[in-house]
Amino acid sequence: MLLFSYLLMSGVTTGALYALVALGIVVVNKATGVINFAQGEFFMFTGFVGWMLHVQFGMNYPLSFLLAVAVGFVLGMLTDRIAFRPIAKSDIVSLVLATVGIGFILKGLARVIWGGKADYLSFPPITSPDPIMVGPVMVIPQQLAVLAGTVIIMLVFAAFFRLTRAGKMMQATADNSRAALLVGIRTDRIYTLAFGTGAAIAAAAAVLTAPLTLLYPDIGFAFFLKGFAAAVLGGLTSLPGAVLGGLIVGVAESLAGGYIHSSVMELSPFLVIMVVLVLRPSGLLSFRKARRI
Amino acid sequence: MSATLLSVADLHISFGGVRVLQGVNLTVDRLEIRGLIGPNGAGKTTLLNAICGMYRPQQGSIQLDGVSVIGHKPSDIAQLGLGRTFQTSQLFKGMTVLENLMTGLHRQTVTGFLSAGFCLRRGRDEEMRTEEEARRALHFVGMSEFADRPATALSFGQQRVVEIARTLIGDPKIVLLDEPAVGLSINRLAELDALLRRIRDQKGVTLILIEHVIRLVMDVCDRVTVLSSGRVIADGAPDSVRNDQAVIEAYLGKELRARHSAS
Amino acid sequence: MPFGRRNVLLALLAIGVIVPAFANGYQLFVCNLVAIYILLAIGLNILVGYAGQLAFANAAMFGIGAYATGLLQVHLGWPFWAAFPSGGLIAAAVGTLLALPALRMSGLYLALSTLAFAQATQWVFLHWENVTFGAGGFKTPPLSFAPLPVDKPVGLYYLSLVLVVLLYFFGRHVVTSRIGRAFVAVRDSEVAAESLGIDLLRYKALAFGISGFYAGVAGGLYSALLNFVAPEGYDLFQMIIQKSTIVVGGLGSIAGSVIGASIIILVLELLREVKGMQEIAFGALLVGFVLFMRGGLITVLRRYVRGWEEPLRMTPRDPTGALPQSEARPSAADK
Repeated sequence: MLLFSYLLMSGVTTGALYALVALGIVVVNKATGVINFAQGEFFMFTGFVGWMLHVQFGMNYPLSFLLAVAVGFVLGMLTDRIAFRPIAKSDIVSLVLATVGIGFILKGLARVIWGGKADYLSFPPITSPDPIMVGPVMVIPQQLAVLAGTVIIMLVFAAFFRLTRAGKMMQATADNSRAALLVGIRTDRIYTLAFGTGAAIAAAAAVLTAPLTLLYPDIGFAFFLKGFAAAVLGGLTSLPGAVLGGLIVGVAESLAGGYIHSSVMELSPFLVIMVVLVLRPSGLLSFRKARRI
Repeated sequence: MSATLLSVADLHISFGGVRVLQGVNLTVDRLEIRGLIGPNGAGKTTLLNAICGMYRPQQGSIQLDGVSVIGHKPSDIAQLGLGRTFQTSQLFKGMTVLENLMTGLHRQTVTGFLSAGFCLRRGRDEEMRTEEEARRALHFVGMSEFADRPATALSFGQQRVVEIARTLIGDPKIVLLDEPAVGLSINRLAELDALLRRIRDQKGVTLILIEHVIRLVMDVCDRVTVLSSGRVIADGAPDSVRNDQAVIEAYLGKELRARHSAS
Repeated sequence: MPFGRRNVLLALLAIGVIVPAFANGYQLFVCNLVAIYILLAIGLNILVGYAGQLAFANAAMFGIGAYATGLLQVHLGWPFWAAFPSGGLIAAAVGTLLALPALRMSGLYLALSTLAFAQATQWVFLHWENVTFGAGGFKTPPLSFAPLPVDKPVGLYYLSLVLVVLLYFFGRHVVTSRIGRAFVAVRDSEVAAESLGIDLLRYKALAFGISGFYAGVAGGLYSALLNFVAPEGYDLFQMIIQKSTIVVGGLGSIAGSVIGASIIILVLELLREVKGMQEIAFGALLVGFVLFMRGGLITVLRRYVRGWEEPLRMTPRDPTGALPQSEARPSAADK
């Protein structure tokens, strides 16, 4: 029971992080219809930025967090300007390869700036590393901090979409970009905003995760695949779906890792993606565009 | 050999609760040119797509030359001798005009990837025949000089004609044409009219023509079927359909009908 | 006398043949690497450039070819000459199976599911330790060209060169046949392809299978070149190298694959000291070519070298080497 509760707790924590990565993917996909393949590298790169600010420059954690998120937002906007807007109307092969290219540039930069392949940077914990007992459940305080942070980000995000003008315009553009353009919404700005927001969420996730894990230049891809698996589970255009998907992937992975073998954890995104995309394509009809003939 | 080539009976199709076709019946004879008209959203293209095997009907039957096509893949139905063109140009953009036509011969040819890759004699001979035949087909529609142009370099009307030629080259029994006259000038319209007749008379191909250009339909079609809200509301010779009250109502609405009969 | 595609390629081949006469060991190694990447690029180009299937599993196929070739020798004691072709066929078979998801999804979703597949392949290489020897990899038995009077590097180089020539022509012939036209048809309009009787599953599976075979053969050669197989040779970075070859050379061009592979390997070797710089360079190449030269370097050659066109049909042999003019000109009169 102790093991189960521990696994459940850590599953929920990582699941919440996957949910954030998935949210970033969904925001971009909803607005632009494209999957940003650099999303994982945004996560990785901004994680390093947070580490640099907090550990190397000695800034306090909240300030590092905010600055890293700002860097993420700028990176996302730049990606839109460089690798999406100029080719927005071209074929999907170009669109995918452009964001893949951006991702690799970021990965290479991180390797050159912050160290080689074997370098794993650790981020100091922001709370006591000792587990505490909350009733029958064993919890690492950092997990609670991460979970709280994730929930706050999600709430801010929901409020942004529901309450702000920019959020509503994003929603309108996602629903019908042509109509949005007709009523005077500058859809290209919305795309920039979506890329920026997506990257900012990835940055938030990265700086929240950093104290729980080690940072290395190849970390991004694993998070991208898991975030994508979560997004697919949720239907790829649904924000609540992405959150739910993230929790499912996180908990399933944690339980499989604890009860079967730790190496199985890495397989989970593959299984989820394959099962959902291949065996249940009918569940994906919401995002498959009807063939126009 | 029966006179009926295509028969559709009691066809029902709905998408997510929207009933697009509600019991459509359609019988097309050999060597007929059949017009299929109706207001937007009447279900014309849906009917076409069902015949081609792209949509699976919930109920009803479709028989092509005595063979039921329901549940077959579009490519298999094409093998049975059914060709079609599309509302928007579906030429292969990365090919020249000639290569587009050669692709139309796909189902008449058999070269496999090994004999193609090793450049065996059989494959080479077939390739030469394919090219010859493609040039002949291009000649038939009067576009020989465009053979080596990229498909994308053609005008809208020319793309239409090439698409028709690409379908014809596969020697189909019946061809479904989805709005071939969209955007054509008057002169081009006359050419299309003549081409459709030549296809029927010289190639022996039955045609079903979805069209909004009523002039063309009334002129070239032997029979016209009118679809409205997923049902057949009239079926007969062009003249009788033209004066059919239900048709006028469907197209013009009740008020206008009142004026129409008053005048 | 136009300096056509054939002459350029013959000149390249002539250089390729005499390379071992003057190259040192490292240069020969790099040339062999170029040959291997030409095979990879041709196979990937058939899948992505011609058939339009945006798959990210080519590095995994490359790995499957290398592992199969190596493991059949190590575990079953097969000679290289039996293990190597088997490796190609196994990769082709796995590739064909990968086409099943491709039937149900396209574009982004295909890209992601093949990416996930590639990741799963890595996982198998890493964790099925009883068979694959895990993260540390394994050494392959020494390869000998015994009856022939050549040492291993030269022998392997010529073997690679022969395969490049054979598979180059195989690829060209496939894409200039009805098969290649069916691939392009599937790429350009699935609905029109189907309406002409082209079976989507069959041709997607064929494209995946052919590209898997090319990658598998390349993998077998690579394992012999390095005498060593380990998971990290077949990871995402490998994928981006291969994608770069076809984007730089030109999507939908077999000759472009040759050019792209040569250039990419040179860049790779020039930057070999710093992996980060390699990643930046390949990322920048991808973005740059997608943005500024969508058709790859081959578009430059097409524009400036007469007779470089790569039609999707066998052009009748013309002794002057000029393009066949459309023979049916008179018919313009009956318009």
